[in-house]
Amino acid sequence: MAKRVLIVDDAIFMRNMIKDIFSGSGFEVVGEAANGLEAVEKYKELKPDLTTMDIVMPFKSGIEATREIIKADPRAVVVMCSALGQESLVMEAIEAGASDFIVKPFKSEDVLTVVKKVLGGV
Amino acid sequence: MALDFQRYIGLFVSEAGDHLTALGRDLVALEQAVRAGGAEAQLRPLIDSIFRHAHSVKGMSASMELPAIAALAHKAEDLVDVFRGDAGRVEPACIDLLLTTGDALADMVQASGRNERPPADADLMKRLVDMARRLKAGLPLVQGPPTEPPPGPGRGAAPPAAAPPAEPAAEAPPAPPPAAAPAEPEPAAGPVQRLRLEVEIAPACPVPAVRAFLVVKKLSALGANLASAPAVEELKAGRLPDGRITVWMETAEPVERLKRALGQISDLGRVEIEVEAALAEPVAHAAAAHGAGSAAEPSRTVRVRTEILDGFVDAVGELLLATARIREVGRALPDQYRPPLDEGVDRLHAIVKDLHDKVMAVRMTPLATVTERLPRAARDVARKLGRQVEVEIQGSEIELDRAILEELADPLTHVLRNAVDHGIEAPHLRLLAGKPAAGRITVTARRDRDRVVVELSDDGQGMDTARLREAAVTRGTLSADQAAALTDREALLLACLPGLSTAEKVTDVSGRGVGLDAVKRTVEAVGGVLEIESAPGVGTRIVLRLPLTVAVQPVLLVGVGTEVLGLPISKVHGAAHVVYSTLDRSRGEPILPYDGELVPVYDLATLLGFTATGRDERAVVVAEVSDGRIGLAVDALLGQQEAVLKPLGTPLGAVSGLSAVTVMGNGRPVFILDVQRLLAA
Repeated sequence: MAKRVLIVDDAIFMRNMIKDIFSGSGFEVVGEAANGLEAVEKYKELKPDLTTMDIVMPFKSGIEATREIIKADPRAVVVMCSALGQESLVMEAIEAGASDFIVKPFKSEDVLTVVKKVLGGV
Repeated sequence: MALDFQRYIGLFVSEAGDHLTALGRDLVALEQAVRAGGAEAQLRPLIDSIFRHAHSVKGMSASMELPAIAALAHKAEDLVDVFRGDAGRVEPACIDLLLTTGDALADMVQASGRNERPPADADLMKRLVDMARRLKAGLPLVQGPPTEPPPGPGRGAAPPAAAPPAEPAAEAPPAPPPAAAPAEPEPAAGPVQRLRLEVEIAPACPVPAVRAFLVVKKLSALGANLASAPAVEELKAGRLPDGRITVWMETAEPVERLKRALGQISDLGRVEIEVEAALAEPVAHAAAAHGAGSAAEPSRTVRVRTEILDGFVDAVGELLLATARIREVGRALPDQYRPPLDEGVDRLHAIVKDLHDKVMAVRMTPLATVTERLPRAARDVARKLGRQVEVEIQGSEIELDRAILEELADPLTHVLRNAVDHGIEAPHLRLLAGKPAAGRITVTARRDRDRVVVELSDDGQGMDTARLREAAVTRGTLSADQAAALTDREALLLACLPGLSTAEKVTDVSGRGVGLDAVKRTVEAVGGVLEIESAPGVGTRIVLRLPLTVAVQPVLLVGVGTEVLGLPISKVHGAAHVVYSTLDRSRGEPILPYDGELVPVYDLATLLGFTATGRDERAVVVAEVSDGRIGLAVDALLGQQEAVLKPLGTPLGAVSGLSAVTVMGNGRPVFILDVQRLLAA
């Protein structure tokens, strides 16, 4: 069964790009969120297998959203979409419970490698 | 549940300000790269970085409920986004507009810190929207404000200026933990072992320290982390020198399970797990797993208000003085009481010194905080004057005391502007001289033992020593003979004389002759030295040699009449007791035979305008000045002391010959002399 993905990013172009990466590779994109608040709501509603999470977003940051998602579901798999220069934010997100991260600008194969690994065990 | 945004406003102003400074720096770098015909691969990282900074400012200000800032940043981001699609679209007009926007954002951010909420400049917003639209449509860019109405909603992303959704989900009861049973059974926990795990991070990983941090974090969920090398603090600071992380941990989990957990992390190379010891007693695993390796837990980084740091330095300085005072009081005690007291004071002194070193280390700040504004400053001046200039900065990671950096910011900017204004020629003149049209200014910093050397060199027209000599003679500073006797190196320093400018016309950039003079004074006030090298047609190099820290310096205290004054030990060569009237004289002035040479002796009281005491048994302090040694006759040598130097405010700062003030243990202020300037006065 295709793994279900929730994409969180405040930039539409980023969401579209990530969506294209997943759609062509046997994942099912079940939802999108444009900020941290929406992300937490959509996560609770959709219970996806994987959430990709931008860090800097309006209303609620990706780190805070990750923290809340992990609190609600400790087994949630959240992969941060970060940019170079956001290292300290990524570490904060990891402390909040993020499973892994990808660094923008990314190539589709890099995204898929990280995601498959992170879903691949335990 | 309303958030108290006021609590975060200081942090917001500081962080958003950092982003905007970086935004300006990257824009200038982008402009240079575009002009140099940079390939897409070179432009791309800059454009991404610019986008990110705009994006961050947008996100931060939206979170702070500052919709006007967020909206303007959003429009800037939209424009940059066009370049992300096609770096070939970047044009100077776009960069101008984005720089203006960055400045406007910086002003708004600053205003928010004063609890003001200025609206975004509607015209600026419109120009950004219009430019983005024209670029996207492949239309030529127009100068001036657009005449057409702004387009309808563009990419559709609602700007964060929109009211935030009503009460956030935070009030909703948290979802219960998933009722579903774990997907797979937990492997049976075995005996507790102490393991050593060595994990290589793939060389291609762009952020190896973050990867390593993820490794430590993953492992800490599976046992008790005892330690890691590098330590977590190092990783948080982005340091992973060997490209590998070693973790020591105690766990009851089977090695296979750990391997599997690490297998889920991307970008890892070889993983080696070694059992160091089997432990008889199981560790308190559950508690340890939640406490996540308290031993390896880092001290978190904090931002500290600079006034607090300054307060520390002052307090430590007072401690040093108080220690000196106790030592002095102890000297009056009978002999049998002195050894234990001295021992205690020695120990106290050592502790305070150590504390002082630590406080000073905290104040060390990378030079980048000053140099990162230079490319922007150079660009602005160059555009105003019709020059082209590229600025390269090396060694900006070198650290200096914050106090020195603060003093240095304006002088460095000034020297840079001078270089653009007087150094770099107009493009057509450069081409005629066989140089590239764009001038090149290089700022390099390096450590040289206990000093930092900052050099600013340009490939411009150089300085004309003949004209400097001429100007000094015209102004009456030097006689024609004196001017002719100067070496070229000395003649170049004439540029530092107050009011001496050879610039043909005074611009608002430089040329008023207050520039280099002020620079030299500032550099010397923090204990540094300024040197100039220049070759006509080839360029100029200004060298600043700076101490690492400034606040505490050893001084020699001297008495003149009833006054006590300090001389920086670094300038003092030695001292001798003399009978003043018996000193040899040369052309009526006393001279002191010292160390095989004859040193001219000046009466300090006379130099300072005090009434001479007329004492005959006196001391002479031999001090170094730029052209050799001189003697200063004083009434008494009062000993050496570590002094916390505080800069002089107005109007005392303008008094030539005084460089700083320090406060003694008994509360008495003592002025520190600047011998060089004292003689020149």
